[in-house]
Amino acid sequence: MNRWLTRGDWLLLGAVALLLPGLYAVYWHGSGQGLEARVWVDGKPWARIDLFREQHLDVPGVLGVSHLEIGNGQVRFTDSPCQNRQCIHTGWLNEGGDVAACLPNRVSVQIMADDPRFDSINF
Amino acid sequence: MTQLIQTTRDDHLIAWFTALAITIHIAESALPSPLPGVKPGLANVITLIVLCRYGWRMAVWVALLRVLIGSVLLGTFLSPTFFLSLSGALASVAILGLGWAVSRAVPGWAPGPLGFGLLAALAHMTGQFWAAYTLFIPHPALLHLFPVLMTLAAVLGIVSGVLTRSVLARLNSNPSIPTIST
Repeated sequence: MNRWLTRGDWLLLGAVALLLPGLYAVYWHGSGQGLEARVWVDGKPWARIDLFREQHLDVPGVLGVSHLEIGNGQVRFTDSPCQNRQCIHTGWLNEGGDVAACLPNRVSVQIMADDPRFDSINF
Repeated sequence: MTQLIQTTRDDHLIAWFTALAITIHIAESALPSPLPGVKPGLANVITLIVLCRYGWRMAVWVALLRVLIGSVLLGTFLSPTFFLSLSGALASVAILGLGWAVSRAVPGWAPGPLGFGLLAALAHMTGQFWAAYTLFIPHPALLHLFPVLMTLAAVLGIVSGVLTRSVLARLNSNPSIPTIST
């Protein structure tokens, strides 16, 4: 009782100082990058694409052809035959669960991951 | 026909300390909480005092009786709150038992009040979180809260350890309070 902290206390404080950042690392790692994306056309699965192979993809939709740009773990719409260009304005998708869709053309793309950020997204 | 139950001095000490812990427990339940599951844990200071003065066996009695009787008085007995509290208390006494065993086996590495406070708070939070996650809200999003809750638990555990230490210093300077357990 003479000392404020015993050797055991220091050991425990040290262990906790290591444990807490570890907990943040484990539970706050985010949903993680996905490795592949899936493309749907008119409600049906159309393709699975590797996000780390740079490529441009032409997806034949209901109205016309949507262009996808893929690479570096990301995917985005670059062109689509719709009016509002919502899909293009969505920008790059890079997190598990991210979705972009061109509803008029019935084309959508979603990044697949073990631990997606969202279960589903409704517009 | 009356039957007299023989009580020991330990029983009386347990009763007194439990009563004290329940009082604090109830007073504390009136405090608003910033986050569900976060409480200063002042009632746990009593458990720590009993642990440091009378050993683990009596601390277990005080901790578990406090949760049981405290919940009956607050009307939360067998409610989710009670189960969260109980799992926290069980995890807490388990880890304190481990710490106690270590301090018996290797006195050089015995934790002091602060170390025990830290252990108890972290174990309490883990037990409570585990119960909340498995029994009530098994949603992965809840796990994101775990590091934050554990950080708060560590801070509050250290605070309760400091409080325990200063109360112990006063108790030890008062010779009229029995110290040794049977």
